[in-house]
Amino acid sequence: MPIAERSLVEVDRLEHLELDGVDVSGDWNTFLKPRVVTDIDSRIVEWVKRQPFGETISQCWQCGTCTASCCMHTDYGMPEFNPRRFIYLAQVGDEKELRLHAEEIWRCISCNKCVERCPKGVKVEEVVHAIGSYLRATGQAPESPADRFDRAFTDNLLRRGVLDEAALFRAYERGEGRTTPFRDLLRTGLRLFTSGRLRTGPLANRTRGWRRMRSVLRAKLDADEAGSTPALPSKTPNTGGTR
Amino acid sequence: MIAARAPIDAVPAYYPGCSLDGLGSPYEVSARQVLARLGLSVDRIVDFNCCGATEVKSLSGDVAVALPARNLALAQSMGRHQVVAACNGCVYSLARANHAVNDRGTRQRVNELLNRGGAPSYDGGVSVQHLLPFVYERAGPDRVRAAVRHPLTGVTVAPYYGCLYTRPKSYTGAGKLPGTDNPEFPHFLDELLAACGANVVRDFSAKTLCCGGGHALSDLKVSVAFCASILDEARRAGADIVATICPLGQVNIENHFERVRDQYGEELLRPVAYFTQLMSLAFGSTLREARLGNNFTRPDRFFRSRGYS
Repeated sequence: MPIAERSLVEVDRLEHLELDGVDVSGDWNTFLKPRVVTDIDSRIVEWVKRQPFGETISQCWQCGTCTASCCMHTDYGMPEFNPRRFIYLAQVGDEKELRLHAEEIWRCISCNKCVERCPKGVKVEEVVHAIGSYLRATGQAPESPADRFDRAFTDNLLRRGVLDEAALFRAYERGEGRTTPFRDLLRTGLRLFTSGRLRTGPLANRTRGWRRMRSVLRAKLDADEAGSTPALPSKTPNTGGTR
Repeated sequence: MIAARAPIDAVPAYYPGCSLDGLGSPYEVSARQVLARLGLSVDRIVDFNCCGATEVKSLSGDVAVALPARNLALAQSMGRHQVVAACNGCVYSLARANHAVNDRGTRQRVNELLNRGGAPSYDGGVSVQHLLPFVYERAGPDRVRAAVRHPLTGVTVAPYYGCLYTRPKSYTGAGKLPGTDNPEFPHFLDELLAACGANVVRDFSAKTLCCGGGHALSDLKVSVAFCASILDEARRAGADIVATICPLGQVNIENHFERVRDQYGEELLRPVAYFTQLMSLAFGSTLREARLGNNFTRPDRFFRSRGYS
């Protein structure tokens, strides 16, 4: 993070400076006043560390390998999607700035290139998802299309143990208010059906003996969801002095 | 960090995952043909369940481990130490579960869920391998070459591996354990297709690019853009056809095929087929037997124009 605070720069040192008869004036001899950061809000990091593999956030040394590898950042070309920065903001507890990225954070597509290449073993993908879930759990980000898909996917697989892909497609599209023209649905459905690729409705696959597992996992999902909205105390305002 | 490799089974357990029984059935059918021709066998896990892919973990960390762990526990109760899966997403979540149960707390909570749901406990010890390295390790290019009857001469193929084939290596052991591919420059598919007589694109730059399948429906713009990049790289490399190893990648490109055409242009379009379909064709199957006409991208039309029947 470049230091943007002019107040920290000792301007008088920028003046003309000569060493052994050589003029060495310039920006390089800009010195910073020492400073102590006291108002770091650790709640985001605490949250992230409670999520699976979230504890690896503390190994991050901010090299940026994740961002350089990130397919959203580099291949898709969305410069605002910057996992290194998300981690930094989470570590210094800058909720205000993270909130501005709510529209991007959920777009992580889980390609895991960041996890693959991180030299410190940070599970970046899991950490980024945990930061996103913090924003949602604290009401600072709306539910994203990806969240709704995750929910539709999980509901679908819990029903029979395995996915009914066509039903998942229909349920999700309906939830988003999107409609595929009936003619297209029929055309695609027929092609899939005649080629044996469509197992839906009464033909859908199922896992025998799944009912018991389903109720156990459903209860666990409900419990985790209830526990994911912690009553966070209203925080002391972040003065921005951490940057 | 990475556990030593578990013993190798003569006949490993086979985890099809949801796709291979549904949208990915051409993959399943052709994979069976390829394994049979190479004299390899696998033992299908009966009453497996969905692995949860990358979706469930955002709702519950423990359920996201319990789902794949149940399948690994089933393989263990079949007396196996090794599971072969054909889908990159399944390989990822099974390997992730292996990694997660190293943590004692997670292991206890997950086993409690499994036992209450009527499944055996799982404490690790079953290794996970993708179908492609399984074929490469057990049969290899030499045996593939010997099995070829109808070589894919003159067909230029772009080998597309996708994102979660080896990634992340901390879960899969890629590049370190025997029987795993190189995570940065995978080459198993290149070699197997070359052994089938195909002209394989060298240094296909979209080899391990994400297809956007994780957000195939929830982030259309991004997902279509990734599919377009893969097809565009294949076009630039002069490929006639793209070979895939993952039902998610295959179905995602199929699903976005018309959007890619409308938004990026007709010249990007290439037929896309599972590597097992291409291998099966090279081993002497007909286009119909290899189910090439069942892909929406119609690789059968391309092959018919090259004199295959």
